[in-house]
Amino acid sequence: MKLWKSALGIFLIGALAVFLAACSNSDSTTEQDNPDENTDTEEASDEKEEEVTIVYARGVDTTGSNELIIEAFEKEHPNINVEFREMPADTGQYHDQLVTAFSSQSSEIDVFNGDVIWPAEFAQANYALELDRFIERDGIDMAAYFPGTVASATFDGKQWALPQFTDAGVFYYRTDIVKEPPKTWDELIEQASKLKGEAGTEFGYIFQSAQYEGLICNAIEFIASYGGQVVDEDNNVVVHSPETVKAIKKLQEIVNSDFVPDNILNFQETETENAWIEGKSVFARNWPYMQASSADEERSKVVDNVAMTTLPSGDAGSASTLGGWMTMINRYTEHPEEAWEFAKFLSGPEAQKIAATEGGRAPTLRDLYNDADVKESSALFANPDFVEVLENAVSRPVSPIYPEISDIMQIELSKALTGDQSAEDAAKNMQTKIEAAMNE
Amino acid sequence: MGNRKKPRFQLNEKQLGYAMVIPSLILVIVVVLWPVAQSFWNSLFDYRLNDPARSQLMLNSNIDLENYVDNYFYINNQLEDLEGKAEKDEAKSTIASIKEGVNKYHTKLISNEEIKAKVEKVDELLMNFKPVTNPELKYTEVDNDLAADYRKALKSYEEDLTAIAESSSDEEAGQKFQQTADLIGSTSETILESNFIGLANYGKYLKDKRMWNSIWNTTFFTVVSVALELVLGLGIALLINRAFKGRGLVRASVLIPWAIPTAVAAMMWGFLYDGQSGIVGHYLEVLHIIPDASWLLSTSEGGMFSIILADVWKTTPYMALLLLAGLQTIPNSLYEASDVDGANKMQQFWSITLPLLKSSILVALLFRTLDAFRVFDLIYVLTGGGPANATESISIYAYKTLFAQQNFGEGSVLSVIVFLCVAIISFVYVKLIGSELFAGRTK
Repeated sequence: MKLWKSALGIFLIGALAVFLAACSNSDSTTEQDNPDENTDTEEASDEKEEEVTIVYARGVDTTGSNELIIEAFEKEHPNINVEFREMPADTGQYHDQLVTAFSSQSSEIDVFNGDVIWPAEFAQANYALELDRFIERDGIDMAAYFPGTVASATFDGKQWALPQFTDAGVFYYRTDIVKEPPKTWDELIEQASKLKGEAGTEFGYIFQSAQYEGLICNAIEFIASYGGQVVDEDNNVVVHSPETVKAIKKLQEIVNSDFVPDNILNFQETETENAWIEGKSVFARNWPYMQASSADEERSKVVDNVAMTTLPSGDAGSASTLGGWMTMINRYTEHPEEAWEFAKFLSGPEAQKIAATEGGRAPTLRDLYNDADVKESSALFANPDFVEVLENAVSRPVSPIYPEISDIMQIELSKALTGDQSAEDAAKNMQTKIEAAMNE
Repeated sequence: MGNRKKPRFQLNEKQLGYAMVIPSLILVIVVVLWPVAQSFWNSLFDYRLNDPARSQLMLNSNIDLENYVDNYFYINNQLEDLEGKAEKDEAKSTIASIKEGVNKYHTKLISNEEIKAKVEKVDELLMNFKPVTNPELKYTEVDNDLAADYRKALKSYEEDLTAIAESSSDEEAGQKFQQTADLIGSTSETILESNFIGLANYGKYLKDKRMWNSIWNTTFFTVVSVALELVLGLGIALLINRAFKGRGLVRASVLIPWAIPTAVAAMMWGFLYDGQSGIVGHYLEVLHIIPDASWLLSTSEGGMFSIILADVWKTTPYMALLLLAGLQTIPNSLYEASDVDGANKMQQFWSITLPLLKSSILVALLFRTLDAFRVFDLIYVLTGGGPANATESISIYAYKTLFAQQNFGEGSVLSVIVFLCVAIISFVYVKLIGSELFAGRTK
């Protein structure tokens, strides 16, 4: 009897295994079938009306400008349909999803938006299509874009992406408290500790210093404003320099001062924005989008009292970290020509204008800042200071191993800011660790 | 003839027993050991998905035909172009010799019929802007010596051209030379050496301070949180094991923290701990348990404290539930008998409850220790490993290496280390439980 029972058990387990295997098999076959069917129908329609559908992936867009751009493109190119694929708003998760798709050489996505720090990585990993031949053929003038945005899409002497919209760190101040915004970091420290507490403020200065990518953006601004660099043009690591040490020391001085919130080491963009629109701080560093939230009467308590300008200077002038997004094409796309048409359109003046006027996104084409409609859509775009910030924005290290460099810098800088190590040690450790990572 | 039974082939009882468990053994091997073996195999390579020179597991030299053929197409054209531009005869002869050299090696390479066919196919695809998706076509094995020679030759050509570029007086021509030098340099990188590095990755990580730090963080987190959970869980289990009014409600509500998804709980605790507006931070500060509210998430010790507290809150119910199940197996007659003998509650707890609960406790500890050792989502959402990397667990480190940096070789090393630690923990527990459960029962 017992024997029978165990025999039955084994039989059941076996049956289950076969069943599971069958399930997974049928799954994979349907998955394999589907793209084939798609391409079949596409090819069939190619012959008839030459109609092609390309898939465009980007993060969540809440402004609605994306649909308008796609509409405008489809009107201009009736034979190309654009299917929009919404990706996670979290840049890191979006990156990991793309990388998973591309490392299996999926042709599912044709055109996608990439963060400014991705081109080198995607180029080396063979995920992105190089655009030089297309650019040359269609005579795209790369000099019309801001130099920083073009540089961050250049790797190994080739162009891997077109700049779509840009972002740079900017300095905010309260016009009801501050007469003259600080010109240097030292002036900032002086003014912040003096003005803190006026007009209901609790803090003098807020910025981003949690252990995450935003810390790198803030640190690069300090380092560049004191004349330091992380990686130079020839790909040498030069972070261990007196300039960088001085910059990290200044950053430490601000973090340890009494005019920043006690939990400044926890601040990301959201915390900064919340404190700012609550009217809790005199000065802040954030991306340009905070101008719009400051002017939002529903949420903000500081409407009409906010102005923005360039960040304070160190010994070598003012520097802003470049952010923003690029248009890239999947190397494994089945429709390179159509994908290029769309990518060109996305980064062209027409689409950038829609994105600027409808979505509040800063164009990467210099000329658009002279366009009346663009100027009218936002006080920011009409502000010559902002254009100057974009013109001088510094990019983060352009390297295929950027994620690793960022990881190293986040840890070492965070340790310096919590007081676990000195500025000197932080610079030295970054130097040796980034060098080791690059030589591997 | 039919009267006498022939002795048929028959398994004895022991063999039969083994025959019966073979299917489950196979299942265990396929499901458990195969992925581990795969990770181990990956960890022996310098294997990075985002680096085309190392994105395959290669025991021999290979050539990345897609990039090689693409570059080769340009090299010839550019070299001819340069010959016209060269100012000095010396430079001209260098270019001529480079051209000859590249051609010689290329001919040698395609002297292999198989490679030649592949090269033609790849060339055709490239002409149509089509990617090479078939890895069989994209990568081909080449003779180790030829690969090494070709690579070395290309490197020296790159140096020669760079020298010409630097000595060139005309800036535009200099740039052209430099461009070709870069092209040849990147071609040399399409010839891939084997990336089998044996145990070198392990050597690296055994000396890696960050790895030991993350192991220490994980161990500290595991020991402290599991110990607290055991004490609290036992208390709760004893409480809800008693009959009182509204017991059903208490039992259900105790389970709520366990039922909330960890990521959601972590977000919630993030708000509670917030240094400006967090209520937990505020009251701990008022009670002088912590120096100030911002201590929680912005210092190394505070970060560790925060994740332990959140984890204890989250998983104590689970511990309580497992212990409650154990408590209910203890027969009431034992307590009655001890009552008759005049034992007080404390004595009953130490002499009846604990000894009879021992195996339940061990099982609960086993589950919780393994669970806590793999902690990932709570930390990932709450602190991301910061501040100052003080809360980075070994799983977080492995995730960052594997997925954010696409470094599958080194990431696999970390995975294997996690596996080893978990295996050691379960081995110790199974030994303890085994001797406990089967004491006096085997034969």
